Amino acid sequence: MRLAAGASCALSPGRDSEEGDENGLAATAIVNARVCTASEGRGIPLWIDGATVLFEGGKITAVGTGVPVPEEARIIDASGKIVTPGLIDAHCHIGISEDGAGWAGDDGNEASDPVTAEVRALDGINPKDIAYEDAVASGITCVQVDPGSANIIGGETLVMKTWGSAVVEDLVLKRPSGLKAALGENPKRVYGTQRKMPTTRLGNAATLRKALYAAKDYMRKKETAKEPDKSPELSLRHESIARVLRKEIPLRIHCHRADDIMTALRIAREFGIDISIEHATEGDRVADRILESGFPVTMGPSLTDKSKLEVKDIGFAAPVAVSKAGVKLAIITDHPVLPIQYLRICAGLAVREGMDEDVAILAITRYAAEIAGVADRVGSLDPGKDADIVVWSKDPLEYDAKCEHVFVDGVEVKAKSEKDGDPR
Amino acid sequence: MTATAYIHAKIYPISRPPVEDGVLLVESGKVIAAGSPVPIPSDARIVDLTGKVVLPGFVDEHTHVGLWGEWYGQPEHDGNESSNPVTPEVRAIDAIWPDHSAFADARSGGVTTVQVTPGSGNIIGGEAAVVKTFGRTVEDMIVRNPSGMKAALGENPKGSYGRQGKAPVTRMGNAAILRAALYKAKDYERKLRAGESDPSKAPDTDLGMLGLLKVLRREIPLRVHAHRADDIVTAVRIAEEFDIDFSIEHCTDGITVAEFLGKRKAKVNVGPSMWHRAKVETLNISTRTPGELARAGCRVSIISDHPFHPIQFLSTAAAMAWASGMAEDDALRAVTLTPAETLGVADRVGSLDPGKDADFVVWSGHPFKVRSRVLEVYIEGNKVHG
Repeated sequence: MRLAAGASCALSPGRDSEEGDENGLAATAIVNARVCTASEGRGIPLWIDGATVLFEGGKITAVGTGVPVPEEARIIDASGKIVTPGLIDAHCHIGISEDGAGWAGDDGNEASDPVTAEVRALDGINPKDIAYEDAVASGITCVQVDPGSANIIGGETLVMKTWGSAVVEDLVLKRPSGLKAALGENPKRVYGTQRKMPTTRLGNAATLRKALYAAKDYMRKKETAKEPDKSPELSLRHESIARVLRKEIPLRIHCHRADDIMTALRIAREFGIDISIEHATEGDRVADRILESGFPVTMGPSLTDKSKLEVKDIGFAAPVAVSKAGVKLAIITDHPVLPIQYLRICAGLAVREGMDEDVAILAITRYAAEIAGVADRVGSLDPGKDADIVVWSKDPLEYDAKCEHVFVDGVEVKAKSEKDGDPR
Repeated sequence: MTATAYIHAKIYPISRPPVEDGVLLVESGKVIAAGSPVPIPSDARIVDLTGKVVLPGFVDEHTHVGLWGEWYGQPEHDGNESSNPVTPEVRAIDAIWPDHSAFADARSGGVTTVQVTPGSGNIIGGEAAVVKTFGRTVEDMIVRNPSGMKAALGENPKGSYGRQGKAPVTRMGNAAILRAALYKAKDYERKLRAGESDPSKAPDTDLGMLGLLKVLRREIPLRVHAHRADDIVTAVRIAEEFDIDFSIEHCTDGITVAEFLGKRKAKVNVGPSMWHRAKVETLNISTRTPGELARAGCRVSIISDHPFHPIQFLSTAAAMAWASGMAEDDALRAVTLTPAETLGVADRVGSLDPGKDADFVVWSGHPFKVRSRVLEVYIEGNKVHG
């Protein structure tokens, strides 16, 4: 089995356990660890030294010091190690923009129409994308997968685990987790070069507004239809947008430049919908306005090139400033734009540029889970949550940290044998 | 000009083991001494760097700094003269824009010397140059020009021209065009010689052929972009057929042929390794590659290929190579002295030794610690960042 490019550990995805617990049901205790719980409180501190993390049946059952360990439990001595929740990348294209597959594996943008709310990331995901191996081998156990940003409305997002099955349904935590939208250069470039609307930022905003109003009209017609045969024909597109208008899911709006962020906030206010700001490369310039809106941001990929005008100031200064302003943020890779295994390195570089250490860890664990809408299941080591746990050789933000054990739903992603070698 | 003594720093001269509580003595833009103890002239200006780490400015052997569109877009896109698959007559120095934001990015990451190469759209892309990352005109910045002739194999040239239904359409075409150009240059040299004894036989000036003659005469290496192992081997095959000096640029699949390359002590410029598998030929991309090739005996430089890995994060690329198994000394050398040597500019840059340019960087800690920051950057003794 091939292993991750640049991944920092020797773990082999695949449920090829030789030991007893194939299903992750028996109790396991990770003991003597320095644990980052990423907990939101409720009596559980963010960091606990010399702690035990106990899990059974795929769920965390206890965390803390003085936790009684059942006699039959498997014990992992994590003295000198760091234990964190499985990391979460709240915005990436893993599985739909496949690695090393070129055109054949690129299903990120249904760029045939600027509004394709009816398409679903679910239907484009290949769980055998090699990048999932990179993800789990570098401690990332959960991801939000977004359609791309070519369209004004790109389609449904979902949240999934990164390991455990070749069937996407088995991996999904939440679907839909949002509806992807985009402002700025990408949609106006894709359609403008074909002389279709949108060719400008004016057209971007108008196209988004029109789509939202069309769905409102559709909802009204459905509600006011006196007889079933007067009801409008089923529109998957409008039904998808209606979930946003009913505030069941957020509109996740790709915007880099400050003016695009303000357009996103303006449209959110007009329609009374929930949004998340995706990328927010110039978020530092309007951090106060984002804070005032109460909406979260996902920021990244900060370790990539200045490929277009709207990202000319890309870097880690903006996420640091946005976090300091008090805005809830997730640090993201936007994989494959930045390979997913470098999520923790991005958090490390954010700390280098001044982000609070705890905020940086939360931005790739609990905050990411909250923004993706799956904090009831993952993102912290609170009892009752999924046993997605990583044992690190040292501070996971350091370049040379290795993940020594990775558990997904309580099942260990087994360490591969030395003789397998790593062909890369 | 009076000397400046930077004292109490941990100094990594690179050519020698690190020195705790060392002194870096600089005068007139040159290193006078770096080590401990160092006699400090009584009139020297003293700068206390207690707790800081000093390294030579990094040397990035393969970049497109000042040449690539980036956020400026098409008007600044001068990377590939893609009007013809063979353009040895073009020169990077004619397009390098000293005010490009990429130079400031380079300085902010502690990179003080870069080789700027044309892109990989053509089989022969043109002349590369080595420049400092600060200066008003490119002439002020040049350390060596030309420093190589860029060539490319694999997907890029066959993609660029194949899509237009022009040669090269295949890897076979790639190799044939490279061979044909080198043979043509050999013929041109024969005609030049004939013209020396009989001016009536002198050929017309051919800038491209004159450029390739520098390669055939081993004045500069052919710097061959090659990702996949078979493309790497093709590059070596052709270089050996013509007995020319060469370097392998990117060398993404190098582990597959590590022994083959190591036996030849090949110059390999590896990177960008923190990149996605964007193409089939980059399927085996890994941060382990630099370390494995160094162990096999290659001369390894770690490159950003800026903008593909942003040059301000060159230290991150070296750190990940180290974290993936490369020896610390090898990884530091791969962004300093090794590229300086293989670029032929080690008399000027790459280590902190007496007589070399005072290009150095003050770090808050070791560059392989993620929290370490570049605090100040100096080129020829002048502060250019921080």
